[in-house]
Amino acid sequence: MVATMTNPLRVGLRQERVIAPQCLVIFGASGDLTHRKLVPALFELFKQRRLPSEFALLGCARRPWSDEEFRGKMAEALASTIQDDPQAWEQFVGKLFYEPVDLQQSKDVVRLGTRLEKIDQQCATRGNRTFYLSVSPKFYGSGCRSLAEAGLLKDPKRSRVVIEKPFGRDYGSAQALNQVVQACGQENQIFRIDHYLGKETVQNIMVLRFANTIFEPIWNRNYISSVQITAAETVGVEERAGYYESAGALRDMVQNHLTQMLAITAMEPPGRFDPEAIRNEKAKVLQAARLADELEPWNCCIRGQYGPGGSAESPLAGYRHEPGVDPNSTTETYVAMKLFIDNWRWQGVPFYVRTGKRLAKRTSEVVLTFREAPVHLFDAATGGPTANQLILRIQPDEGAEFRFEVKSPGSGMRSRPIDMEFSYDESFGEPSDEGYVRLLADAMLSDPTLFTRSDEVEAAWRLYTPLLELIEDSPWQLPVHPYESRTWGPAAADALLAKDGLLWRRP
Amino acid sequence: MSPQLTLQTPLELAPAEVPHYLEQLWSPEQQGSTGTGANTFCLLIWQPAWAEQQLIRSGRLPGPVTGQQSASLIAAGRQAVLDGDLPRSTPPLDGAVVKAVADFEGQASAEDLRGQYIDPALSALMPRRLITLAPTIDAAQPLETLVAAYCPLPEEGGGTTACGDVVVLRGGHGALREGLSILDPLLPESMPAWVWWNGCIDEAPELMQRLNSAPRRLIIDTALGDPHQCLELLSSCVVSGQAVNDLNWLRLRSWRETLAMVFDPPQRRDALSHITRVDIDVEGHHPAQGLLLAAWIADRLGWTLLSTDTIEDGTTAQFKRSDGTEVTFQLMAVSTGQPNVHAGQMVGLRLIAEPENKQGVCVILCAESGGCMRLEGGGMANLDLHEEVVPVQHDTPEMDVARLLGGGHDSTNPLLAAAAPLAARLLG
Repeated sequence: MVATMTNPLRVGLRQERVIAPQCLVIFGASGDLTHRKLVPALFELFKQRRLPSEFALLGCARRPWSDEEFRGKMAEALASTIQDDPQAWEQFVGKLFYEPVDLQQSKDVVRLGTRLEKIDQQCATRGNRTFYLSVSPKFYGSGCRSLAEAGLLKDPKRSRVVIEKPFGRDYGSAQALNQVVQACGQENQIFRIDHYLGKETVQNIMVLRFANTIFEPIWNRNYISSVQITAAETVGVEERAGYYESAGALRDMVQNHLTQMLAITAMEPPGRFDPEAIRNEKAKVLQAARLADELEPWNCCIRGQYGPGGSAESPLAGYRHEPGVDPNSTTETYVAMKLFIDNWRWQGVPFYVRTGKRLAKRTSEVVLTFREAPVHLFDAATGGPTANQLILRIQPDEGAEFRFEVKSPGSGMRSRPIDMEFSYDESFGEPSDEGYVRLLADAMLSDPTLFTRSDEVEAAWRLYTPLLELIEDSPWQLPVHPYESRTWGPAAADALLAKDGLLWRRP
Repeated sequence: MSPQLTLQTPLELAPAEVPHYLEQLWSPEQQGSTGTGANTFCLLIWQPAWAEQQLIRSGRLPGPVTGQQSASLIAAGRQAVLDGDLPRSTPPLDGAVVKAVADFEGQASAEDLRGQYIDPALSALMPRRLITLAPTIDAAQPLETLVAAYCPLPEEGGGTTACGDVVVLRGGHGALREGLSILDPLLPESMPAWVWWNGCIDEAPELMQRLNSAPRRLIIDTALGDPHQCLELLSSCVVSGQAVNDLNWLRLRSWRETLAMVFDPPQRRDALSHITRVDIDVEGHHPAQGLLLAAWIADRLGWTLLSTDTIEDGTTAQFKRSDGTEVTFQLMAVSTGQPNVHAGQMVGLRLIAEPENKQGVCVILCAESGGCMRLEGGGMANLDLHEEVVPVQHDTPEMDVARLLGGGHDSTNPLLAAAAPLAARLLG
């Protein structure tokens, strides 16, 4: 019974809030996300007994599948997961249903309403529904409208809509989409998903800051000299060229994931742990954020695109040679930029943000660099004293690290830096849930804390508007610097920090 | 939030008329005037509230009778422990308190609003039907059947008004038994039905058996009633496959969580394979909760029960680990100055592990409300000591029940299902 890898006393001890009986309706159920992320996340929730017995999942898409066909497809896609617990799957699969629905056809949506009533009768799901729009972004607005017109969103307590990213392409389109969805339901019914917020370590930033008294007093311009936020990937564009070509790293990563990390790192403490209080603070800090040089954005932003790389044995193709990519593409696969936040806490502290594909290492982290000691009393073993750093590792090797100076052993009084480490693996020893497990559960619990509110989304788009306009109107002013695959990006990105006498941290 | 009264004055009807009346109330023609009948669940509550009734009768508590566990009720119970010369460690709403207060003089009367007071935690779930069986201390009281429609107040999350109804059957034991015939038609098979036995488990076994037929989901509290019968009932439900929930088990959650937390760091887990002794202290002479915790530990660590014995103030047992080594278990009743409302709540846990060629490990968990001197004493200086304080839960039974109903399961929690039969065997 006692295994070295799992804590036998931990098994089955989930103490999270319980999800009320309900039907989850997934539009786009024949798509990738449903079988890769959503159904596995729901199956995980089921195994953890966090789904009530009165639960149903209704898959909807245009394909004319039956319940049985849908169940078969899901079983096929989850085969390796099911192997571990076939009995649980047997129980779970009975909760899956399917209805062919084209959200653009009103008769289909009316039929959907009837089917949902039947499911309410059959599964006692109490008319409580979560609609998940896992469809092409161009259908978000019309999808919401169809649901509202069919009366499926009229009860704000018992109906909610989850919308995947990207929420708009720029400030204007995000504003327009917000107007449409807000006309269909109340803001607290709309759950704009950003799966980065489902990560345990991103949420831990809030706990670290607001559950401890030692960090908050120094979490400001008086003690922190700069902040770096990195999300580096080793993979290339893979099968997403169609989408990526029109999005690029700025829209795909920076506007949502990195901006959310920035908001959580820089926000003021909320008055209480309440969705609106937290989202108010996040929106406020984003409204106070700006590009370091809004008039001449090319001074504070670097774009890059990966070229070929790898080794002779396993060469890696450059972005322009990837399938589905325009051979003359100027889409950026790397972005680095410098931001400021104009408020009392952060005035003058630069926030450096970078993300890229095909970088040297897969890592996401937030690094807070503290000001140097005012007087250097000791010689440093490494040449000069190293500034204290707090490194919050989002992935992989989730945890935190605090770097500070200690006396180097020996008769002299030389200092050297050491790291004090906290690792999720070492302290808890269990892998954390996939982000979708947390976010799906929260949406079904009607808890919007980890979802982005309309004003947050708009503030995030507004922040990058000067860049988007520049890329649109005069792209030559923001050229795409090539970089070799599996390196740390273009040299110009290093120069961006070098101007301030800084270096990117090499994780 | 304080409990809410039903909005409609209850209507007294002859028992036979109740099913027909409710059928009419929710018929499609009537729905315009009463709102929509919620398609949720039914909850049947056995609500004797003996302590409250007796304390009100004896003038020690102002009415009305509500069936809710209020602070004033608990305070009146504590005073009755003193006035009745009961041991200080007697829980304030214990059966012994009821017996003692029954001997106090007094004939005060008060309105009986049991079943009409709905805790917001429950009403927020929009139950379709709440049926309360309210036995009176006057055993000869004839049956009264009250019916009222109920709609959640806007601040409870009305939205589209989905209403429910409350049915109260009130009277002496005999009269209530007569009224049971109307229950089956009131619990439609299409809706999940829960039975909350909010009283001593052994006080009316026939009635309980009558109410508690599968697929109804049972909610009991193994801190109420004879420990043997409590654990036997729990165990038999598990064996028969009936969904059962135990509020006493639910109150153990912070103990299970804290103990698991101690062994979260992988480097400590090896100690779990080398446990040689487990000691548990509980408040007073009701071992059910302590035994459930011991049974959970034993099940999770794959131990088999070798023998069990009753000693003065406790229970001992020997387990065998999977490597054949024996583990000694002892549960002791300890007195506390300010006893918990629930009998036999956990006071402390000590777990000793003795790995070969390594330093031994001692884990002590102690309730934040009490002391663990017995467990902290004696010969542990050479062990690697981990001590944790376990927070005390302050949730009312209604909140715990609402938590169960909110995410209702039609099967027993697997951890409880594994622990309950072993706990029953531990008691012998």
